[in-house]
Amino acid sequence: MKSTKILAALLVLVVMFAFTSTVNAGGKVYKVGLSLAITGPTSDAGNPYSKGVEDYFKFVNETKMLGDDTIDCTIRDDQYKTDITKRNFEEYLDDGIVLYLNYSTGSTLGLKKDFEEEQIAVLPASYHAGNLDDSNYIFLPIASYSDQMVGLSEYVVKNHKGGKAKVAMFIHPSAFGRGPVSDAVKAVEAGLNMEIIEVVEHGKDLDNTAMLKRLMSKDVQYVISHTVQSPVATMLKDASRLGLAAKTYGEEGKLTFLGAHYTGGNDLIALTGAACEGFVWTTSFNLTSEKGEGTTKQLELAKLYGRDAKAANSHNYAAGIMVAQVTTEAIARAKAAGLEITKQNLADTLNAMNGANAYHPYSTIGPVTYSKTDHAGVDMLQMYSVKSGAFKKLGAPMQSEYMGKIK
Amino acid sequence: MSANTWLATGNFYTTYKQEQRTFSTSLDRTVFTFFLLMLFAWPMFFHLSNKYMLVIDNTLIAVVAVMGLNLVTGFAGLISIGHAAFVGIGAYTVASFCRTMGDTHIIITHFWPVMIILSGLVGAVFGAIVGLPALRLKHLYLAIATLSFQMIFQWVINFMTFFNQGQTISVGRVFWFTGKVGRKDHYLFWYFAILVVVIILGFGFRNLLKTRYGRCLIAVRDNDRAADAMGINPGLTKVYAFALAGFFAGVAGALHAYVYRGVGFESFTLHESIGYLAMAIVGGLGTLNGSFWGPVAIKFLDLQMEHLSEAIGQYMPSNMNLTTAMKPFTFGLVIVLFLMYESRGIANWWRITKSYTKLWPFRY
Repeated sequence: MKSTKILAALLVLVVMFAFTSTVNAGGKVYKVGLSLAITGPTSDAGNPYSKGVEDYFKFVNETKMLGDDTIDCTIRDDQYKTDITKRNFEEYLDDGIVLYLNYSTGSTLGLKKDFEEEQIAVLPASYHAGNLDDSNYIFLPIASYSDQMVGLSEYVVKNHKGGKAKVAMFIHPSAFGRGPVSDAVKAVEAGLNMEIIEVVEHGKDLDNTAMLKRLMSKDVQYVISHTVQSPVATMLKDASRLGLAAKTYGEEGKLTFLGAHYTGGNDLIALTGAACEGFVWTTSFNLTSEKGEGTTKQLELAKLYGRDAKAANSHNYAAGIMVAQVTTEAIARAKAAGLEITKQNLADTLNAMNGANAYHPYSTIGPVTYSKTDHAGVDMLQMYSVKSGAFKKLGAPMQSEYMGKIK
Repeated sequence: MSANTWLATGNFYTTYKQEQRTFSTSLDRTVFTFFLLMLFAWPMFFHLSNKYMLVIDNTLIAVVAVMGLNLVTGFAGLISIGHAAFVGIGAYTVASFCRTMGDTHIIITHFWPVMIILSGLVGAVFGAIVGLPALRLKHLYLAIATLSFQMIFQWVINFMTFFNQGQTISVGRVFWFTGKVGRKDHYLFWYFAILVVVIILGFGFRNLLKTRYGRCLIAVRDNDRAADAMGINPGLTKVYAFALAGFFAGVAGALHAYVYRGVGFESFTLHESIGYLAMAIVGGLGTLNGSFWGPVAIKFLDLQMEHLSEAIGQYMPSNMNLTTAMKPFTFGLVIVLFLMYESRGIANWWRITKSYTKLWPFRY
């Protein structure tokens, strides 16, 4: 008898819970999936990136930015392995996602055909220009690595005193690293006044003395890096130890270091300390070391969800927020236009995000613009330089001139 | 043999031929046939999501690869630390055709069974070449030779533009008698295709062990000088053991290329080679059924650890790094525990279970 009563009470509870859930659900739930490296290679970037995505979608739901409708974003670790990314993507499709957030270059290229077949808009954390080849559904959040490398090259030429600037490229030993080099070469061929003396594919060296001495012997004055932070940190520390790093930008007889998006950020400062003073870095995100409305909102969001200072100040956290912002904006615009929230409608909405309809998220230095022929979001690049242990802006945002010439 | 062919108890072999039979009793044969039928029939009754179909396909591909590794390491006693590179050879054989002829060329899409066999053959050729050092090297030294093959493979793929410098090379969708295999049926189609390959290769493996060529492998493993004295050519045996392993691996690589519809460098790294070795150890080196148990156990463990870390990570987000480290930790722990307490692998548990039921209804 007693057990029957308990069973009945449990049943009532279950029914109540089910009913409550239905009431709470209220509006529609739009499913989104994110697969990225929370562990394994590049997890130092993936970890804050996932927190940015998670926090922003929480904020959207809690502040009812989409009315009663909510975004349900599932985040899974893929350990930087394409096989696992593919499995996660299949799971998300089974769940009925309307937009997909991807991470690595390898998996974005590996799943490109799947994205085309599924006709699903994808925002990756990889800014590899090759992602856009033969693709209608991949939308780069910011300017491509090629834009960044050519932009850095243009910055070198513009600020170089004397004849032709002698440059070395320090790149990741993979297609991710090599891809933008060919565009830099094309820019030189198109008239950019610099000479690429050497392209160094770094290994896992813990000492770069030989490489740095060799570059010095070839009269190299600028080293433009396109890789991840740790090899750059090793190189900067070695250059500082050997007294080869320029004290001021472009100092003659010394090396001035520059780098693309994934080479810089606060983690680089943490790894190198004073050795990265003067390092020139480019990205399209606002940094918390430069106070502004956007960065204040970023820090408030991080505080709201109890993130530590490291995550809150990370540009990867900002990058995560940015893709969540674009996703939310696309859904909001599609809703406002009276469209059903489907994969195709969201892709179409993103394609219409240009001109007067450009989107201005607080996390970036410029507007996000997409069209059928342009799938790079923020076209502008901001140069930063390390001054007294923090990245500070160098001039106004710029856009690569030569990328337009060589495309 | 007793007149009752259904029970093992009371039956004694009187000829070598009887001992060499694949199934010792009619019951064994019936149960196995029923099991095979179930493997083909269950997808018609239960719908599984694409995610889990992909997991199953991936596990079956690993079974094919581990069968090859078991031949060379378990049966011939030659340690190979570069098995993922052989799998990669198979995958990149398909990828090479895609690069030169286009990924939707009829040879890729319609003649895929030929491509799978061809990939196996290319794997066998590379296996034989890598096996040549086995003529002079043994034990740790041979292991290092296979490791160097792994390194060479990685370097070549990573730097050659023909192989897209390791980035994914797309493989087109295949055709069946019913037409193009679309996205909806992709993983189910490949489940059946891989299952057929596993069964054919499984029986091939089993039958090989009954022949003098199979017995040669074991003889060379146990004592190559004694084998030599018995008239076996140890050098040739070692080379063909590597070639056979390369064939199995090549087939697995081609299947991987078709299932994932692309070939990327990161699926064939040293880490994957260690994974295959772990599967062979956990399953049971030197056993055929160990080649099935190992991949199933390791893949299942991987998936469950992912789910567990994710669940714990949700409740303790600050410990996310710690919880996600559980996967590699358990992977290592399982291998160590098996090496310490059950070096014969899960296959030994299967043997014990079978021997317990063998004498039924007579316990002693």
